[in-house]
Amino acid sequence: MKEKEGFVDYPEQQMILYVEKDDGNYGPMQTGSYISANYMDDYVYKRRNLEIDLRNQVTSGAISPIKYYMILVDLSFSELAARAHIRKSRVKKHLDPKLFGSATMEELLKYAAVFNVPIANLLQILLVKSNGSFESDFILEPKSSGIMVGQSQTSNPYVILTKIEEKSR
Amino acid sequence: MIVQNFNHKMAAHCESGTITSLLNHGGLNITEPLVFGIASGIFFGYFHKMKSFAFPTFIVRNKPGQMRTNIEKRLGVRFKNYDFKDPVKGQQTLDQLLQNNIPTGAQVDFFYMDYVPSWERVHINVHFLVVTGKTENKYTISDAYFPQMVELDADSLEKGRFAGGNMSPKGFIFHLDKLPADIDYNKAILKGISKACFYMLKIPIPFLGIRGIRMFGKKVVEWPKFARDTEHLSHEIMKINILLEDQGTGGAGFRFMYATFLQQAATITGKPQLAELSAELMKIGDGWREISLFSARIGKNRDLGPDKLKQLSEMLYDRANVEERFFKSLSQAIK
Repeated sequence: MKEKEGFVDYPEQQMILYVEKDDGNYGPMQTGSYISANYMDDYVYKRRNLEIDLRNQVTSGAISPIKYYMILVDLSFSELAARAHIRKSRVKKHLDPKLFGSATMEELLKYAAVFNVPIANLLQILLVKSNGSFESDFILEPKSSGIMVGQSQTSNPYVILTKIEEKSR
Repeated sequence: MIVQNFNHKMAAHCESGTITSLLNHGGLNITEPLVFGIASGIFFGYFHKMKSFAFPTFIVRNKPGQMRTNIEKRLGVRFKNYDFKDPVKGQQTLDQLLQNNIPTGAQVDFFYMDYVPSWERVHINVHFLVVTGKTENKYTISDAYFPQMVELDADSLEKGRFAGGNMSPKGFIFHLDKLPADIDYNKAILKGISKACFYMLKIPIPFLGIRGIRMFGKKVVEWPKFARDTEHLSHEIMKINILLEDQGTGGAGFRFMYATFLQQAATITGKPQLAELSAELMKIGDGWREISLFSARIGKNRDLGPDKLKQLSEMLYDRANVEERFFKSLSQAIK
């Protein structure tokens, strides 16, 4: 690939591409991501729709919160069990909305660590109003909202602080 | 504490970039393509059904960690490696190394790297970076995917280093321990090429090497049955582009970087055939790039009927055929 063919103007996501330079030598060129520059809107659209679909399922009791997050972070059932250090048979139960309630607090802490969310968010979905509609804080890019939701862990592993504030402009 | 004189540099790939940075910092003037090629980084593997993955996927580089071990064997450099069961000990050792002005490579789960935009973050336990300092509760990180050094909360680094699951990092860190007085680059390059050819042509496993590309071509038409719906299939098909171009390959699933390696190798070894093969691989890479662009386009348009998947399949078979010829020629060129 020639240098001029490879260049993409997308400062938000830079990468190194190996290209043929004008002198015929091959070498690295810093450029933007082609797929992000051209298809980011489509990615965001699909991700939002997926979250809405899963949210509808979890709020109607069709799936458990564990399954909601598992699909959103694109983990397989086996990988979730391995990462959370919870037996597969137990994970299988917790994916079932009727048996989710059998999860212990310790197990929920382990799931929360894998999903990188506070334990409280396994029992609630934070929605932030952005561009006229409510969106999940889990998938919302901070720059797209005027509201900032900050959640910090306290010394008590079961308690988190949630602070909601307007972003300074 | 900040490691003095560490020069942050972007690289195409996290593991080859990390190794190159550490070697450069230690005084060895070596390029990323040379590290990648000597370490036999080029590869292909297709995984149709594997419990660790939520959907069929493929890889285009050798096993994570092998670049480091291959570089050690072939260049005679020595890295000191550490892994831990106890995160506290893991952090103490890292801090001590930084205190001693030693830039330290680390294996982490990419998902916890908070400096990465949330839409880019995925659970993958084989991301490599260099830790170059610590101030209060934040580490300074040289991540080859970022133009500048970044900061990361100590808590996030710990989560990344001690994530569980497939290829769990187990707190793994490493640093350059010793550089040899002399390096026989000629021998290292030929060994690197020889092993790469073996893995692409002769490894007797049906989903690896050239046979892996063919299996990908055969199986991609079955992808719709694994997808939840069209949107999911579109996402997975578009991920072909990401895996080939965006996830640290230098373009075309490492083919462009390997072509650069062969061009540099031709000069070092005095074998002009390698320069010719380098140009050929650059063209082969352009074909992989067409696959990337095609995947992105049909995914975006939700044009994912059997005819398009068949077309994608044929493009993959075509890459398998040209790469089989290429690696046979490469194998002959080093004899």
